[in-house]
Amino acid sequence: MSGFKDRADLALADRILKVAVERTAGTAEAKRAVAVDAFPDFEAARDRAAAIKDHVVAHLGAYLEQFEASATAAGAKVHWASTADEACRIVIDICKAAGAKSVARSKSMLGEEIGLPHALAEAGIGRVETDLAEHIIQLADERPSHIIWPAMHKTREQVSALFKAKHRSPHAEETIAAMAESARRELRTQMLGADVGISGANFLIADTGAVCTVTNEGNAELSLVPPRVHIVTAGIEKIVPSMPHAIHMLRMLARSATGAALTQYTTFYTGPKRAGDRDGPEEMHIVLVDNGRTKMREEGLAEMLRCIRCGACMNHCVVFRQIGGHAYGGTYPGPMGAVLTPVFDGLKESRELANACTLNGKCQEVCPVRIPLPTLLRGWREKSWREGLEPTSMRAGLSLWAWVATRPRLYRLGTGMAVRAMRMLGRKGWIDKLPLVGGWTRYRDMPKPAARTFMAQYKKERRS
Amino acid sequence: MSARDTIFARLKGDAPSKAEADALLIAPERPRVDEAALEAEFLARLALPSISATHDVIDDMAQLPAAVARYLESQNEALTLCMPPDPRLVACDWQGFTLHDRAAPDEAAAIAVARRGIAESGSLIFETGPTAPMLPNFLALHHIVLLRVDDIMPYLEDAPLPGVQPRAHYWITGVSGTTDIEGTYVRGAHGPRFLHVLLLRQ
Amino acid sequence: MTKSVALFVTCLVDMMRPRIGFAAIRALEAAGCEVVVPEGQTCCGQPALNSGDRDHAMALAKQTIAALEPYEAVVVPSGSCAGTIRCHYPEIFEHDPLWLARAQAVAGKTFEVMAYLDEVLGWKPEGVRVDARATYHDSCSGLRELGIKAQPRRLLKAIDGLSFAPLQGEETCCGFGGTFCVKYPAISNAIVGEKADAIDATGADLLLAGDLGCLMNMAGKLNRKGSKVRAYHAIELIAGMADGPAIGEEA
Repeated sequence: MSGFKDRADLALADRILKVAVERTAGTAEAKRAVAVDAFPDFEAARDRAAAIKDHVVAHLGAYLEQFEASATAAGAKVHWASTADEACRIVIDICKAAGAKSVARSKSMLGEEIGLPHALAEAGIGRVETDLAEHIIQLADERPSHIIWPAMHKTREQVSALFKAKHRSPHAEETIAAMAESARRELRTQMLGADVGISGANFLIADTGAVCTVTNEGNAELSLVPPRVHIVTAGIEKIVPSMPHAIHMLRMLARSATGAALTQYTTFYTGPKRAGDRDGPEEMHIVLVDNGRTKMREEGLAEMLRCIRCGACMNHCVVFRQIGGHAYGGTYPGPMGAVLTPVFDGLKESRELANACTLNGKCQEVCPVRIPLPTLLRGWREKSWREGLEPTSMRAGLSLWAWVATRPRLYRLGTGMAVRAMRMLGRKGWIDKLPLVGGWTRYRDMPKPAARTFMAQYKKERRS
Repeated sequence: MSARDTIFARLKGDAPSKAEADALLIAPERPRVDEAALEAEFLARLALPSISATHDVIDDMAQLPAAVARYLESQNEALTLCMPPDPRLVACDWQGFTLHDRAAPDEAAAIAVARRGIAESGSLIFETGPTAPMLPNFLALHHIVLLRVDDIMPYLEDAPLPGVQPRAHYWITGVSGTTDIEGTYVRGAHGPRFLHVLLLRQ
Repeated sequence: MTKSVALFVTCLVDMMRPRIGFAAIRALEAAGCEVVVPEGQTCCGQPALNSGDRDHAMALAKQTIAALEPYEAVVVPSGSCAGTIRCHYPEIFEHDPLWLARAQAVAGKTFEVMAYLDEVLGWKPEGVRVDARATYHDSCSGLRELGIKAQPRRLLKAIDGLSFAPLQGEETCCGFGGTFCVKYPAISNAIVGEKADAIDATGADLLLAGDLGCLMNMAGKLNRKGSKVRAYHAIELIAGMADGPAIGEEA
């Protein structure tokens, strides 16, 4: 697999991608700003949201026990998985026990994280992705490039070609509405015919045992009501104590993600169909997945467990806006992805992500749960440095510089010489080619420094 | 050790205090709602582009079929309706309508009764039960919802049902929409393309 | 009463553009301060800190703290270096009670120069005239770590003849990011390219900001694309030194 820089270069060269990312993330940024302005005291609401999540993470064991008891009392079966593989195995086993030939899946980033689409395919179980973007991704055999808009990298022309090749009765008219209609026709019968519906969870309500999903398309409900079995895969950090806590988080989620007050559909599922109910599944299974989360809690990443997967950090990230989601190479892109990917894929493989950030702090400023993303990214940089994963040239250069900088007299001598050397390379006021920082001068000029350093000039002035 | 044991072994800690959890809910930040004008507040949200529902007002239940007919005719739809066996609906005189209580895959119109309307967000609140299936409300192209004006409440905190929970408690805040292709908004992605609320003033 | 303040010059100003340091001294003296430049200072250690090199960051932080702690106040012509001292030094020593106390003491009396002039001293430039149209970029660390937004604008508004053209995306990162711009030059270039276009689109004569790193990045890109916009640190104008060469102009 190619490295981060190669993927980033490819993305930078893809101007269509840039337009696509700008269109969706730019709209989200503008709409969020309007929603936040209209909300009374969004800053205090962010404090509260962070406090709710911190409270849950501090008492996670007790809340999980409470959720398990409530969900079980409501007739759901709760399963536990330490790893991604375990979680997939549990889901596959439930599908097999139900004799399932096909599953309808409602977009879930946790499902992507544990590799569920791949596991279902290996088990020979047909899968229909019902979120429109995930459907596009499935047809194209790609990975999501954003956690809210997984197909944001695709243009309408690309989607049109896909649907024409794969849909039974594709659109005739080249409009986005006609393409969506084609997907509606294609997916509806598949959803209604699925044996199992699989969803993630936006929130798990500890005291009622309810599982909350939010969608704008209504595909979760259409995927989860008709089949005989409903399987939920959820990260253990998705817990909130009660409905009013969930309500506060829901107020933050859509506003931060899309700028809407709420998603069109917000559903709380508590156990399977009841006696007398006219629809709903016979069985409900909830698979609670750790996959590194308890470790994050222990190893300085507890604040990351506040994340409600709104995508605001990536929508507002200058790097994401240039390279899109695929370049990150993990399940989750953008700033939150740069923090999470080393947990799942290992720091050695993903150390570049923490470095490919200007630490400008915008992500932290818009995060609805105030995750100190730049601090967490700095934490990964430190770990990478400690473990010797940073490139030798960088380590040597920085160490030499620091060695000199901790010796002020030597430093004055060195900076004086460096200034004179740089001036020799300059023409008029600028240097257009500078060794050691070729990355700078490849794209922009470097101003020629003054003849003498501040310290040298200041000393001379003081003497005179 | 089972996965459950492994996870709980790493999550040892105090049980949360109820008081601490409750303290997180004192005076929540939320949209301002004029509690003296709930109907107007609710209708204003219903008309927002993000929801873009239409509405009509009836004075009593006897006017319901005529209001539904008026809407369907305005949409050039036949008087065919998926209607759940809710006694309040069944009691009306549906002469002239073709009714059924199971939704077809290409259902044109379904009617349902909302337990609450929420002024803060323009949401309609439903639960599943023996007389309240869920699927028709997601399958039909036109979703017609009956809501008593008195059931409009100010905040989302007023939405949950206390006590034992039904299989599903759900909030509908608009029509099935998507922005998944180039960020362009399309109505009727999977479910309803139109939402029509009939406000009962009685 | 005269205030005695220490100027922390910053390594970039020391090497690349000493005028900014002298402008800071001039403005502070005009505001009634007595300015000292402590001998033992070099770099605040931010490049090491942001590269994950905790040991060297700590060594440089100790050296800087020792150099600055004798003074009543410390003033820095850079939001990001001031932010390192104010926000990150206490974090670096969170497990070292002795140094933590010293770090907190220095952090508490360290200010970005324009915030110090405006908020602490309540000073405004008088009799300074610059006939030009300027646009202002809010450097990220100053903006988000120190809340620097209104202070430079208040000071600049007191300059006669200076008008302002708002910059689209004035709070959007310019893509400098310290070592980021040399580690990921292509991404950095894409970001600063957009920034340079936005600056050009204002029609302003001058680009102003409060951090030399960002200014060099933006000015370097503007020059490469042939723009006529001239770049200064805002303190140079505030101190009445706008008659000197802009960034990248020969003295």
